[in-house]
Amino acid sequence: MALEWKREELRVEKEIGEPILVVEDVMKAFGGVQALNGVSFEVRKGEILSLIGPNGAGKSVVLNCINGLPGYRPDSGRIIFEGRDITKWPPHKRAQVGISRTFQKIELFGGMTVLDNAKLGRHIKMKTGWWDGGIYWLKASKEEAKHRKWIEEKVFETCEIEIYRHRTAGMLPYGVQKRIELARALAMGPTFLLLDEPMAGLNLEEVEDMTRFILDANEEKEWQCTILLVEHDMGVVMDISDRVVVFDWGEKIADGVPEEVQNNPRVIRAYLGEVEETYITRR
Amino acid sequence: MQLPTGTHFDSYTADHAWWQTKFVWFRMLLLLFVLLWVIPTFVGDYWLSFLNMVGYTILAAAGVQLLIGYTGLITLGHAAPIGFGAFACALSMYLLDVPYLLAFVIGMVAAGLLSVLFGLPCARVKGFYLIMTTMAMQFITVDIILTQFLGPLAGKGRGGVLAIEPEMFNIGPWIIYSVKDAYIWMIILCVIVMVFMANLMRTRVGRAWMAIRDNDIAAEALGVNIFYFKLLAFFVAGALGGLAGCYWLTNLTIVSPEHFTFGWSLWLVGVILIGGVGSMYGHIYGALFLTGVLELVKFALIPLAGIFPEAMEKFLYIKDLVFGLAIILFLIFEPKGISYRWWQIKNYIHLWPFSY
Repeated sequence: MALEWKREELRVEKEIGEPILVVEDVMKAFGGVQALNGVSFEVRKGEILSLIGPNGAGKSVVLNCINGLPGYRPDSGRIIFEGRDITKWPPHKRAQVGISRTFQKIELFGGMTVLDNAKLGRHIKMKTGWWDGGIYWLKASKEEAKHRKWIEEKVFETCEIEIYRHRTAGMLPYGVQKRIELARALAMGPTFLLLDEPMAGLNLEEVEDMTRFILDANEEKEWQCTILLVEHDMGVVMDISDRVVVFDWGEKIADGVPEEVQNNPRVIRAYLGEVEETYITRR
Repeated sequence: MQLPTGTHFDSYTADHAWWQTKFVWFRMLLLLFVLLWVIPTFVGDYWLSFLNMVGYTILAAAGVQLLIGYTGLITLGHAAPIGFGAFACALSMYLLDVPYLLAFVIGMVAAGLLSVLFGLPCARVKGFYLIMTTMAMQFITVDIILTQFLGPLAGKGRGGVLAIEPEMFNIGPWIIYSVKDAYIWMIILCVIVMVFMANLMRTRVGRAWMAIRDNDIAAEALGVNIFYFKLLAFFVAGALGGLAGCYWLTNLTIVSPEHFTFGWSLWLVGVILIGGVGSMYGHIYGALFLTGVLELVKFALIPLAGIFPEAMEKFLYIKDLVFGLAIILFLIFEPKGISYRWWQIKNYIHLWPFSY
C-alpha cells in the first residue's frame, strides 16, 4: 500500500463547524454545453471536502465559479461565503475575504523568484503604495522584512521550500512548482482554500508530501483552513477527506463521508462505469 | 544569487539589500564618482552632449520598460506623455511664470494623467487592441493636441515651437545653462529614476505588476486588483515620460511637437528590446548601444563624404536603416538583449575556471 497510515491514526481533534461556503443551485452553460446543472452543496468550517467525478463532470467549473475567474459567473444560483453573497464579486475582492486557490495547470509567476511569488500571495496583507514603495527606506523596508519573516517561518516551513527561495519559479521542477503554488496560496493566510488537483502529475513520494502539506494546512493551529479539494487520486481523497461530493455531467450525484460514497452504487456506476468495485482503492 | 564564499546574512533586510558586499558598494560609489566628477571634468562638450542624448533616452525608455518589461502592456505611443510633459512644463513656465522645479512636477503629473486617460481601455481590452489605443494616444496627443492647441498657446513661433530662455531653468541658485549643467542634471535624474524604479520592483506594487505580466488570472485570484494596478503602471510610466520631457527642455531650451514623433516611440521600444526587456539595466544598455552605434555610423560616414556625398545627404535614412538592422540582428542572435548576455558573462566569470 502506498499510504500506510490511515487518517484515523493521525487524526487531530478538530471541530467541524457551521457551513462556511454554500453553493445554491448554480447553473452554468458554455455555449450549448450545460457545465453545471443546478449544483448545490455546502462546505463546513474546518473540514476537507473533496469534489470528485469523471473528466468533464464540472468540478473545476465549480471551483472557478467560487473563485470568480473571468468568464465563470454563474447563469443562475448563488454562492454564499460566510453569510455574504459573493456571486457577483470580482476575484480580487473574494481574495480579500480569505478565499485562496491553486490551479490545475501550474499558474506560477514564472519570471519571479519563489520568494516574490510567496510575497505576491501575501499582497492583500501588505499596504505599501507606489510612493512608499519607490522611496522604500522609510516604511516599505520594515513591512517587507516583517512579511518576509512571516513567509519564511510559516509558509516555507510548512511547504518545505526554503532552499529554493531565490530561484526563479519558472525554472524549477514540476513537483516543486506544485509546492510553490500551495505556498503562494497559503501566504495570504486564507480561511478557505480551493485546491484544483494538487496531486496531478506528481510521483508517489511527492503525493505523500503534498498530502502532508494539505493536512498541515487544514489542521495546524496557524492555518486551520477549510479546504475544498478537487482530485482524481482516489487513495488520497478517501484517506484525507471528511466528506466527499461526487459530480457527474454537471449534477451532484452523491454527498457523504468517504465510506458512504465508496459504497454508493450510483457513484460506482457513474464514476467508474462497469469496472469492479475494488478499483476505487488506490492504484 | 552569487556571493563570495563566507558571506552570510543575519537579517532578512540584509538579504534583501541591493549591494550586499563592501566590494559592490565600493564599485557603485566609484561609478557615481566617475559619473559626477571625472566625466564632466575631463570630457569635452561634444561627448557630454552625446551623453545627454543617452541620458534622455534612458529617462524616456524607463517608462517603456515599466510598461512593456514589467507590466506586459505593450505601448507604441510613449512619445506622447514625454511631449505632453515637456509642453506642460514649458507652457506653465512661459505663461504662468512658474519656477522650473514646480513646472517640472506639473509636467510629470500632466503626463501621468494623460497616460492614465489613454490607459483606461485596458479594463476591457488586451494585447493588440491595447497597442492600438497607445498608438491613438501618440497621434491624438502629438499631432492634434500639441501641434494644434498647446503649441500656438504661446502666441509666437511657427508650428507650435516653444523657446524658453535658458536663464529660466534654475534650481535655487543653480542655473542649468551649459551642456555640463544639463549633464549633471541628467545624472541626478537618472539616479533618482533608477532608484525609484528598482525600489518599486522589489516592493508590493512592482510585484503586482510583474504578476500581471506573468499571469494575470492567477494574480487576480490572489487578490491583485488588475485594473487599478494597470492604471497605476500607466500613471507612473507617464510621469516618468513627463520627467524625460522636462529634462529634454533644459537640454535644448526649445520644444517642438516634431521631437515626439511616432518614430521616437518606436525607437524607445527598440531601446528596451536591444537592452533587455524586463531588466532594470536594459534601457541603460539599450540607450548606450543605440545612441553609440549612431555616433559610430556618423564617424564612419564623415571620411566617406568626399567619395559618396549621398551618404551625408541621406544620413536620416541610414539612421533608420541602422536602427532596423540592429533590431533584426538582436532578435535573431540575442533575443533576450544585452543585459542577459552581460548576466551570462558575469556568471561565467564567477565560476571560472571550474564551471561545473
